[in-house]
Amino acid sequence: MDIEKRTQELRDRLKYVQDIFGPDENSNVSMLDAKLNEFILREPSLTKQEVIRQLETLEELFRFLEKKLERELTPMNKVRIVRHPQRICLKDILENVYDNYTEIGGQDDYSIDPSMLIARAYVTRKRGKKVHNQPVMVIGQEKGHGQEFRNGGSVKPWGNAKALHYMKVAETENIPIHTYIFTPGSYPIEDYPGAAQQIAKNLYEMAGLKVPIVAVISEGGSGGAEAIGLADTRIMMSHGYYSVISPEGAAAIEGRLRGGQRADLKLIERCADQLKMTADDNKTMGYIDWKIHEPELGARPEHYDFFRKLRKAVIASTDEIVLNVSGMRMLRSFALKRHKGANVYVRWTLSTRAKERLLWVRYLKFRRMAQGAYLDKRHWFSRGSEALGEVCSSLYSYFRYDLLGRQRKKVSELAEDVHAEIQVVMGRSARYWGKVLSKLFFKKDKKEVDKEELTTLTPWNGSDQNLGQWQYISPQAKEDQSITCPNAGVHGCLDQWAPDLFGEWAGVCSFCGHHFPMEYQWYIHNIFDPGSVREIFSEIESINPLQFDGFDLKLDEAKRRTGHKCGCMTFEARIEGTTVMVAMFMAAFRGGSVGAAEGEKFIRAMERARKKQLPFLSYVHGTAGIRIQEGVNGVIQMPRCTMAVRRYSEAGGLYLVLYDTNSYAGPVASFLGCSPYQFAVRSANVGFAGPGVIKETTGLDIPPNYHNAFQALSRGHIQGIWDRREIRHNLVQSLQTMGGRNLYYR
Amino acid sequence: MKTTNELKKHKVLIANRGEIAIRIMEACCKLGLKFVALFTAPDQHSEHCVMAQKLGGDESLYRVSSYLDANEIFAVADHAKATAIHPGYGFFAEDYRFARRVAQRERKLIFIGPSWQVIRELGDKINTKRLARKLGVPTVPGSDKPVTDDLEAENIAKSLFDFQKEQGVGNPVILVKASAGGGGMGIEEVTDLDKFRSVLRRIKNYSKRQFRDESVLIEQRIFDFNHLEVQVLADRTGMSPVHFGTRNCSVQSLGRQKRIEVAPGFDPTSTRYAFDAQKVLEDITEYSLRMAKEAGYDNIGTWEWIVSPTGQPFLMEVNTRIQVENGVSARIASIKGQKGVDLIAEQIRVGLGAALGYAQEDICLEGVGIEYRIIAEDPDNKFIPWVGRITSFDWPDFPWLTMHTQVPRDREYEIPTDFDPNLALAIVWGQTLEEARIRGKEFLHALTLCGENASGEALKSNISFLERKSDTVLVF
Repeated sequence: MDIEKRTQELRDRLKYVQDIFGPDENSNVSMLDAKLNEFILREPSLTKQEVIRQLETLEELFRFLEKKLERELTPMNKVRIVRHPQRICLKDILENVYDNYTEIGGQDDYSIDPSMLIARAYVTRKRGKKVHNQPVMVIGQEKGHGQEFRNGGSVKPWGNAKALHYMKVAETENIPIHTYIFTPGSYPIEDYPGAAQQIAKNLYEMAGLKVPIVAVISEGGSGGAEAIGLADTRIMMSHGYYSVISPEGAAAIEGRLRGGQRADLKLIERCADQLKMTADDNKTMGYIDWKIHEPELGARPEHYDFFRKLRKAVIASTDEIVLNVSGMRMLRSFALKRHKGANVYVRWTLSTRAKERLLWVRYLKFRRMAQGAYLDKRHWFSRGSEALGEVCSSLYSYFRYDLLGRQRKKVSELAEDVHAEIQVVMGRSARYWGKVLSKLFFKKDKKEVDKEELTTLTPWNGSDQNLGQWQYISPQAKEDQSITCPNAGVHGCLDQWAPDLFGEWAGVCSFCGHHFPMEYQWYIHNIFDPGSVREIFSEIESINPLQFDGFDLKLDEAKRRTGHKCGCMTFEARIEGTTVMVAMFMAAFRGGSVGAAEGEKFIRAMERARKKQLPFLSYVHGTAGIRIQEGVNGVIQMPRCTMAVRRYSEAGGLYLVLYDTNSYAGPVASFLGCSPYQFAVRSANVGFAGPGVIKETTGLDIPPNYHNAFQALSRGHIQGIWDRREIRHNLVQSLQTMGGRNLYYR
Repeated sequence: MKTTNELKKHKVLIANRGEIAIRIMEACCKLGLKFVALFTAPDQHSEHCVMAQKLGGDESLYRVSSYLDANEIFAVADHAKATAIHPGYGFFAEDYRFARRVAQRERKLIFIGPSWQVIRELGDKINTKRLARKLGVPTVPGSDKPVTDDLEAENIAKSLFDFQKEQGVGNPVILVKASAGGGGMGIEEVTDLDKFRSVLRRIKNYSKRQFRDESVLIEQRIFDFNHLEVQVLADRTGMSPVHFGTRNCSVQSLGRQKRIEVAPGFDPTSTRYAFDAQKVLEDITEYSLRMAKEAGYDNIGTWEWIVSPTGQPFLMEVNTRIQVENGVSARIASIKGQKGVDLIAEQIRVGLGAALGYAQEDICLEGVGIEYRIIAEDPDNKFIPWVGRITSFDWPDFPWLTMHTQVPRDREYEIPTDFDPNLALAIVWGQTLEEARIRGKEFLHALTLCGENASGEALKSNISFLERKSDTVLVF
């Protein structure tokens, strides 16, 4: 009996190893296979002692080779480990890491989204005779060892909304949050809300959540991971991966595959390797704080020692976060620093001041990330002087707005009141004397003046009213050809002549209103006051931080073609005299994808706008998402930029987003999608994943126009749809009517 | 300036249909030019197709899917090696973008009509009004720029009411127009200043929705006016425009569509007017030429005027094209003593770059011309168009009568429903107004126009209406 059990166990182990190493030829795996099969064949003919001896040898061999295989693990093997049904999942963690828990927000398949699991859990700590029960909110994706209804941990938008809801509950109850990330990515559907919309909301809220957050990453697939991953401490399991995109997805993009095609294994392996998605890589790049060692070939539910380790780690990191921001802490934090998991007790509730500090520490933590993933080629002197300038301008802004501005406002308000009071007293007599005076001196008949106005030429500066007279004419308008509107079949639009269409009509079909794409220069010259655009931070340059194969060439080509150093152009410009800070994402530069340089520029511009009390406009000329070739350096821009947005908005600024053409994925699911004022130009597509990706990941065929601006409007993602020819007018209107209290022109 | 022989190298594409296409073809033949004509499927039995084949042969007729598809028209022009395009009236005649495309495309053509800049400038009613005011030409009292501000609008409305009271208007009325509107859309009248706000709001909303532009124009509404026109012609130098007298187009259908046009605009010799009619005619021709000179007008065009019952003229708009009723002005005119003026031929000649070759003194106007637009419609019932088959259409060939029609006399004809319903233009000439009226009625009496529709009902036409109105033309 015992022998059968042990043999079966070996069979299972072999099966697991075979799953992990999958299709690759590995001599160790085949050796295990051969040895085990040989043993099974010969077993009936052996005596019991011989069987036991051989079993022991075999077990020894398994142990030895598993250790050996562990050292040979490639990133792709790790991907297979975390995806394996035997991988630990959140339920196991709840059972083994916490002392007591209750699942909330649904149970098993009776849940709004079974792939998002939420539990109130307790950690019980004994210090001497005293027992401390410390509550935490545990949030994470549940794969349920491959249960169908868990959807593989791919969370739908409402699952993320549920997570956000309970995060807010935790905030109200002042208890820490532990999130566990077990997701290959978010379920990319647009609904009410859409995937991008909800992730952006989550990020924005987490950026200001006033409780300690610890995230543990096992499988961190891009947007889905970020939805609950913005944390004070990020721990990663040694066999996990954390990446901007699945290796298959990267391979599909790299190999330029169309619908239905499959990338070949070599390419997928190469992408997995180059994306630098393992725990070690992420630790080196500074995107995670700790790495927890897992048992050989990954943690499975029977590895109880691993759960102990994990328990120590999450408790210690929560302690650390709390101590780091609370008042009385010296000895305990020293003890913790000396020895992770030291036996100290820390109360996990935060005081009001500690909460503020927590947010500031969290902001700084993310602000300092990804500093090596872009290039600033300037001389140290000019960089230093810029830093000095920043300090000076902060001081200036403090004096100008916080001190002087407030006083001046008070004075002018007082003057207004006094004036109004005086008017009451003076009004009647002034009117009387005014009448007398006018009778005495001005004999001109009023009617005569009116008649002049009605029948003769009156002054009018009609130049700016003249629609169709643009400052900048697109080069597309220089070709003598007719353009067919894509809606011609439906709306019966006639073909239009390119010089008319791209010149006077600003690329808008005059029959159905379809907006043809225009180059970004059109906007720069036609929306902002002429000559008012002043570019800043132009020296920040995109690089290839992961040394992704062949990407250097592509990047150089993009730089050469556009004349820009990265895909985001930041500038100050004026609209009808009001200065605006603008971050523009250009579709011409690598599809408008966002990497470390773009994120850094965005954050710097945001910070400057905050300092100078300028309104901020994100003009998305087009964005394809996060730049996958930068790996986590790219994806980390989602929380980074969102935090900058939150800080800016809370300081009373106005953050406007305007989408033109196609805007998808990461940026929309974070720093763009979190704006309360988002607008789209007609014919823009706004969403999380394109139709191809949706088909690939969910198998759903999406209806046409699934992502178009009108759908986004009805989902509540955007606030309005603008005609391209009216952008300037609408921006003026927005600047006057929207936004917080601290804009300089208010 | 080009000589007549140089002109003969040109080939004119006629981007129009019906009687104007026929007249353009005839004018081309008169000038010795080759031409290309177009037709669409519903028009295949139109007389203009027959005429095109007769005058220019089979290769001068192309079938297109729509008269409004510019690309197709250019494709035909390139295939037929045309060098110029005549837009006629309607369709592309006043579309400056089309004119610009004609002039700026890679294979450049000549647009027979004013230059696109002129069409654009005078096609814009605010621009035209401001140009007029700049030159001291009277325009309808009211604003001459788009008004966006509500307070400003209210001020203008108020002073317009005051102004009308001062002028002795009993019940002053003002009009609020969407400044981007046209063709009667987005216009409402206000009789009471208290209602102004709500009307303004409504027009602004409408205009914002329809034209993406909130601004409005506010003008006095003039009642019981006469509609006069001045026919102007200038060559490409734009230096010395001449006029071919005035026309009175006051007999109109309920939908303000002209039915009878008379040249000249008033007849002070036989009719009494409450004002100095001769002076009004002289004034409006002088004003029109003044504006034409200033705008550098370089082809044929019509200045439209409204004359109030007290004899005040106001400029209404400028039509930068040949008009339907050009024939009636041509009928009473003679150049250097030469009768049989053809304004379309003149338009083509100067449009292709020839000099005008005569001055205002060379143009003489004699007699009275009346043009009837014969249309199958029911004048007693809101002028509803009648649709069906014409079985017989005939008239005696009087020496004082000119007919322009696309309806064949020798066979039956199905009236196409896609286009404007004019069947024929009949121009009658008389030495005096009285003679013209009598001849007009004689003609209408002798005219046979019969037909029936699918349900067997007899054709309805406006002949009786025209007859009735003949007695009172030019009476004001």
